Amino acid sequence: MLQLKNTFIGAFAILLAYYGGMFLSASLSLPIPGPLLGLVLLLSLLFVFPSIEKHTTLVAQPLLKHMSVLFVPAVLGVGIYWRDIEANALALFIAIGGTTALSLGLTAWVANKLMNKKTL
Amino acid sequence: MIDAILNTFTVSGITWLFVTLCCYAISVKVNLFFKGHPASHPLVITVSLVGLALLLSNMSVPQYQKSVSLLHWLLGPVTVALALPIFKQWQKLKHYGWRLFASIAAGGVLAPLLAWFTLYALDSPVALQLTILTKSITTPLAMEATAQIGGIPALAAVFVITTGIVGAVVSNAVFLCCRVTSPEAQGIALGTVAHAVGTAKAIHMGEEVTAMATLGLCINGLFTAFILPLVFSMGI
Repeated sequence: MLQLKNTFIGAFAILLAYYGGMFLSASLSLPIPGPLLGLVLLLSLLFVFPSIEKHTTLVAQPLLKHMSVLFVPAVLGVGIYWRDIEANALALFIAIGGTTALSLGLTAWVANKLMNKKTL
Repeated sequence: MIDAILNTFTVSGITWLFVTLCCYAISVKVNLFFKGHPASHPLVITVSLVGLALLLSNMSVPQYQKSVSLLHWLLGPVTVALALPIFKQWQKLKHYGWRLFASIAAGGVLAPLLAWFTLYALDSPVALQLTILTKSITTPLAMEATAQIGGIPALAAVFVITTGIVGAVVSNAVFLCCRVTSPEAQGIALGTVAHAVGTAKAIHMGEEVTAMATLGLCINGLFTAFILPLVFSMGI
């Protein structure tokens, strides 16, 4: 019963931040996506009321853990763009395959240089 | 939200939600069977299974998307929920300070620019060039940001997941080549460049790597999704 109540409080906090962010983005016609402002709102909420961390975790953890399933409808919609993908297959292959490996290496190298100084 | 809930409580809504969740449950099992190998990412398997089911039942994709619009709607709240991992890693964030931010910024700027330059140099359409800019940030943020700058959100989801899988698969070889052994650096690179898929890979590499990957994932996602639409709204 308590678990249920806490889940409701957590869901309420997340929805409050979500709709707050949507409202801010729309009413001030900001170029920033509403859910992103919602993220910042929830982070502020957590800093002001650290006690709601427990409640939000109950809702956020399963959502974050299984977020892959939420992309299914969007990814299935990619069929319409198949021709674009095919026409640019080589460019996309290099852009996604090649540069990802390169960026990964460069980032790790930079981080390695910077972070080592901190530990010493 | 009301629309999404109303769509769910129809025969086709309940049926397809059930089918999708079943396919997802199977994919998670398959992924576990392959010991969480990035190439067996649950999304890849779920999409294939649901796609097959749609084909067999003669259902069109737009109809399907309408039936399970609740899943799509949840992308908003899940974006908001990303605040939680940031909050939980706050102490680490403060501890490493600007060094952490500079490392993440390096990856956050390099990864999209290198990818964009490839498409630009090879004359790909502008919509693809815009979409690839978000390839290294976590899917919900990437889809939001892509929509804002005039790219294609559905493609963004595909690019992001593919990037994550590639990053996670090549990471061991890359770290070996660049002689990067520090768990902090490995974690930052994985989270910043390969977002959630990279972070899932980091879980197998230890707690320190995971914590840093989570920070890389969140900070890079947050900043990229903030900065890209701002830059584009200024008319560049």
